[in-house]
Amino acid sequence: MTPEVSIVVPLYNEEDSLRPLYAAITHAVAPLGISFEIIFVDDGSRDATVRIADEIARSDPRVCLVKFRRNYGQTPAMAAGIAQASGDVIVTMDGDLQNDPTDIGALLRKIDEGYDIVVGWRFDRQDKLVSRKIPSRIANKLIAKVTGVPIKDNGCSLKAYRASLIKKIPLYSEMHRFIPAMASIAGPKIAEIKVQHHARQFGQSKYGLSRIYKVLLDLMVIKTVASFTARPMLWFGMLSVPMLLAATVAFATTIVTLVSDGTYSLPIAGCGVIFLSSAIILLGSGAIGELVYKLGDMREHEFSGLTQQIRVRSLIIQ
Amino acid sequence: MTTATSDTARLPLSVIMPVGKRHAANIAALYAEYKVGLASLDVPYEFIVVLDGPRPEVAAALQRLLERGESLIVISLTKRFGEATALMAGFQRASGRVIVTAPAYHQIQGAELGKLVRALDKADVAIGRRWPRVGSRFEVIRRDAFHRLIATGGQRFNDLGCGARAMKRRVLEEISLYGDQHRFLPVLANRQGFRIVEVDVAQSPLDRYDGGYPPKEYLHRVLDIFTVFFLVRFTKKPLRFFGMVGATTFVIGALLVAYLAIDRLVFLHPLADRPALLLSSLLVVLGMQLFALGLLGELIIFTHARDIKDYQVDEVVRYPEAVTGNRAAAPVGTEVTRSHVV
Repeated sequence: MTPEVSIVVPLYNEEDSLRPLYAAITHAVAPLGISFEIIFVDDGSRDATVRIADEIARSDPRVCLVKFRRNYGQTPAMAAGIAQASGDVIVTMDGDLQNDPTDIGALLRKIDEGYDIVVGWRFDRQDKLVSRKIPSRIANKLIAKVTGVPIKDNGCSLKAYRASLIKKIPLYSEMHRFIPAMASIAGPKIAEIKVQHHARQFGQSKYGLSRIYKVLLDLMVIKTVASFTARPMLWFGMLSVPMLLAATVAFATTIVTLVSDGTYSLPIAGCGVIFLSSAIILLGSGAIGELVYKLGDMREHEFSGLTQQIRVRSLIIQ
Repeated sequence: MTTATSDTARLPLSVIMPVGKRHAANIAALYAEYKVGLASLDVPYEFIVVLDGPRPEVAAALQRLLERGESLIVISLTKRFGEATALMAGFQRASGRVIVTAPAYHQIQGAELGKLVRALDKADVAIGRRWPRVGSRFEVIRRDAFHRLIATGGQRFNDLGCGARAMKRRVLEEISLYGDQHRFLPVLANRQGFRIVEVDVAQSPLDRYDGGYPPKEYLHRVLDIFTVFFLVRFTKKPLRFFGMVGATTFVIGALLVAYLAIDRLVFLHPLADRPALLLSSLLVVLGMQLFALGLLGELIIFTHARDIKDYQVDEVVRYPEAVTGNRAAAPVGTEVTRSHVV
């Protein structure tokens, strides 16, 4: 009896929020008339979170607790929860009561309509303006621009996915923010709906401004892997084009001065050699990239199989 | 997954002794010393000797021990692979719930081996620390610097060179070591979230160096630090490392280029005789290359992401028989299943 929906909640030092959260989830989901399981992932909490989660699991067979030995971060916690989940639909949410479980019903209805990923949008966000909301708004604009996935709020943890899709998407580093962008490799149908957002009741926010540089680099990684993995040669080839151009200019200058004046400038000729060799090395890297991709286990054809729809017109035979 | 049944079928203890280039002249005496230490534990154990490469004189000594009726398992590797690889080769044969590694030369007093196993009550890994320790002043400073560097961003250890360690089986199942990484086992284990304690053990009077190591050895240690730094911090995010270094180089180069361009176009200083042009273009190119390397690394991670897990699950707890409702304890007779995921 596998449940229809798995709700994955990463927890990190949430001893105060845990019981209210559990009550809110069961209260919100039970009336929907679907079978569900709750997967708590303890991300190496140092307070009573594990004990409380264990007690909840003891009293409710629908609750599963995944324990980490130390703190790994939000993305690994989500990845572990998703790996453990057995439902057809996976809902992820924060463990700090800022997301409202009553929105789960709306997310699931969207999935029923045929969307592969449904993303929550905290349209009325209850956080500090300068340190949280403004950087987040800029980041979201940037992410939408770069990845081409127009989502207004990537940072919102409340999301629903088709399990068959999300289980195939590699999650590592700090990519939970980019799951929709990452999943866009497979070309899913993505919907975004407004969800409620509450101010923090317990504890401190665990993230600060320091993650901006990480977000930028991760974004670069996603852009690379999402759009160029299948064609590393092409991409590295593009990188080498400016190098080749610079080399051509330098060599042309050298030849022109050599012919007209009978002399040439060593630095300019040297630059030509440097740029040319760099272009060649980049092309070589592209070739290695092709090799890596060919030998790897993530291929485009696999992703294309995740969300495709097949319609076959059945012939009527009398 | 390991289940409880296979765990109880195991021997309590396996001792692995990887024999490398540096080993005791009299292996039989060393073995006898360890035997005394292990006897104090009063549990059955197996003793596995792994010969890292052909060591005819050691093999002969072990043969004599075997003929005398000692219960030893001897594994010979055909060529030298490094101590960590030898250790893993031994581990593949080991069936103990607790794994003890013993150095192949007189590093600690063999009788102290039991102390390490007993320390596992409170930790997953117990590593020996030779204390009190003899050594020249230079050696002390070098050792201190080495451990200080390794400690950045983790637990501080005091004697990573000590080969006497005891650990629970899970530790070696979750860590893969190769080459000369045996030194960093505690660092990597710590990284995986295992608890590690240092246990003071008495240094063997035979553990002396005559005039230090050859310079090559020091160079290797420095490279080792780089390796472990990279392994621990950036294996899963190569672009964080290469990207940072690459971007910095690129920006410096680009600024220099910009300066030269302005100098040429606005102030009309000729560009042709300026070696700074070479330097700046080199920096730009180098920055791009480093960045490209990082991207290549990311590509490798991505395409093999299914094999690489970012985390280790300690335990998955599920009570399938639990009764819904807020009753604190499961009713009598209910079986509680706890599965360990390894």
